[in-house]
Amino acid sequence: MPEQANRLSSKHLLGIKDLNTKDIELILETADTFKDVINRPIKKVPSLRDITIANIFFENSTRTKLSFELAQKRLSADVINFAASSSSVSKGETLIDTVNNILSMKVDMVVMRHPYAGAGVFLSKHINAQIVNAGDGAHEHPTQALLDAFSIKEKYGDVAGKKVVIVGDILHSRVALSNILCLQKLGAEVKVCGPTTLIPKYIHTLGVKVEHNLRKALNWCDVANMLRIQLERQDIKYFPSLREYSMMYGLNKQILDSLDKEITIMHPGPINRGVEITSDVADSKQSIILDQVENGVAVRMAVLYLLASQKQ
Amino acid sequence: MNILIKSCTLVSPASSHHLKVVDVLIENGIISKIAADIKPSETKTIDAKGKYLSVGFFDLNANLGELGLENKEDFISGSAAAAAGGFTGVGVMPNTQPPVDAKAQVEYLKNRAKGLLVDIYPYGTISQKKEGKDLAEMYDMTQSGAVAFTDGTVPVQDAGLMERALLYAKGFDALVISYPEDSSIAGKAKMNEGEMSTFLGMKGIPNIAEELMIVRDLYLAEYTQSKIHFTSISTAHSVELIKAAKAKGLQVSCDVTAHHLVLTEQALHDFDTHYKVKPPLRTNADVEALLTGIKDGTIDAVVSQHTPHEIEFKEVEFETAAYGITGLQTALPLLFKAGLNAQEIVEKLVIGPRDILGLPQPEIKEGAQANLTLFDESEWDYTTENNYSKSKNSPFIGEKLKGKVWLTINNHQLYEAK
Repeated sequence: MPEQANRLSSKHLLGIKDLNTKDIELILETADTFKDVINRPIKKVPSLRDITIANIFFENSTRTKLSFELAQKRLSADVINFAASSSSVSKGETLIDTVNNILSMKVDMVVMRHPYAGAGVFLSKHINAQIVNAGDGAHEHPTQALLDAFSIKEKYGDVAGKKVVIVGDILHSRVALSNILCLQKLGAEVKVCGPTTLIPKYIHTLGVKVEHNLRKALNWCDVANMLRIQLERQDIKYFPSLREYSMMYGLNKQILDSLDKEITIMHPGPINRGVEITSDVADSKQSIILDQVENGVAVRMAVLYLLASQKQ
Repeated sequence: MNILIKSCTLVSPASSHHLKVVDVLIENGIISKIAADIKPSETKTIDAKGKYLSVGFFDLNANLGELGLENKEDFISGSAAAAAGGFTGVGVMPNTQPPVDAKAQVEYLKNRAKGLLVDIYPYGTISQKKEGKDLAEMYDMTQSGAVAFTDGTVPVQDAGLMERALLYAKGFDALVISYPEDSSIAGKAKMNEGEMSTFLGMKGIPNIAEELMIVRDLYLAEYTQSKIHFTSISTAHSVELIKAAKAKGLQVSCDVTAHHLVLTEQALHDFDTHYKVKPPLRTNADVEALLTGIKDGTIDAVVSQHTPHEIEFKEVEFETAAYGITGLQTALPLLFKAGLNAQEIVEKLVIGPRDILGLPQPEIKEGAQANLTLFDESEWDYTTENNYSKSKNSPFIGEKLKGKVWLTINNHQLYEAK
């Protein structure tokens, strides 16, 4: 187990923006240890035996929720799950009321997914428990960025100096923002690529360059992170059709094979096969999509473990 | 009401005592004497050395809860907050439930406003039910006391309707106020589009949402030869557009909120809903341009945009929080903070607003009814205790502010700071 002296600088995990490089490295190192644990015959450790964690999901999620729950169970935490719909004052219970109701039942940690940016930050100012942000609007999804960084490190040995392009709907993506911040803190170079209507106008203020041509972007990069098109988050149409989207930004085997070098393909899932990525790419040996899923559990174990050890 | 104000500096360009140190005696609510040295008798006497005495401030853009939103504010609490902020006149926006779109509501508001220290001037809507479809009965409302027309925070999107509103209002010399925002550009965004929105993963309201609407309305005002007032402009380019229109001779005026002169989008870095306002807080460059606009006369007035909300509308996720700040008590300190001097403040809070509405300018002269504000640059703590609004949604509560109102006098009534 990692040494107790190693502590995160933040009480919560609200976003990558609150972590320093040392925090990120500590999480990745700790995750390395936990990856060994979950590959043992006995996958469970008693680290969080007295900790109760509430997974509160105000937005549908299958894999993130499952991954967190598995991480919590492997750490022997007590887990409760709560699915709710978000609402405003006029429509029902406020977020603080909902969460305080759950906390009254003596919960130590809250893992929350919420459709609105900043929901975790807001909650952290009003409640007592530790909060792990499992995705808030198009703001942050820190554990996804950490597991992506972990997977790149696992593949290449280091993140520093790597060139990563994030392809797709940047405007509505929390994965993009957290990945940009995380990869930059670890010394990687990041570009974004996608339809002009789905790239925030001021994205350059984050220190990333924009490339609208997929082939050029892929030729530049070591790693391509293909985002899912999330039509459910688009209140209006930003492009004419999925068909046209995949004509311009879909990654198929033909493009992949025509590149000068062998790049690595990532995807936060769930995959829309035939839209942003074709099956033969998703299932190719260049894809590390399933490694990402496995690493997700280890990284989330590391996050929960490190946050819980702060309380002692 | 009798009071003797000793050794104040008069700030009233129309007065022969402008910028002179004088004593002002008020008897039965009337200014009975202005002189270099009035001997104190048994009258209540205020030592006003180093303090400025001006005509009472006027706010062109405030929401005082009535009607329908009395949980947030009513005319009693709202006028108390206004008086504490130095205001003796307030124009109230029809952002109400139901909107003020007919004579009955205007008369109700006029009745509710009777007997208060602060004079309340209702605005009516441009369109029926504020739906942006058909013209409301603006003439009838004018007859009942509505002094201007606006669809408030739900600006008219249909150019044809706005054209007809400007033309129609011109027929009886009524003023149309535009809060410029093109909602198809603003979309569902809740903050300024820029560095901060990118950092927070939120969609942004681009500057052009405001500027396109200003361009549209300026064209319409030019075409219809009508006067138009823009309220709460927020971008550098908006200032340029209006400056050019004024140079061209259009009958255009505009105002800016006090908080847009001191705050930028940086205030939103941790999703603090207290800073969620409309138009959104912009950038440093915009603030500088707005200040230049104040100094060169492009911007005619400063408003509080007082928008009270109960805590449950603010203590929620940023996305669902209501827009607005309770601004009546902080307008003066924010203007000092923005670097304006007492004379500039009087121009933008006293003279500009009344000129825009075409109201008579109260005078500081013997025999006139006392409509006065005594203020200076001294510091005070803005707390929930000395907050007169029913609501507390101000980011400045808990702060030490520079710029204090000592006395507000109007309608034979007196507010005195504790």
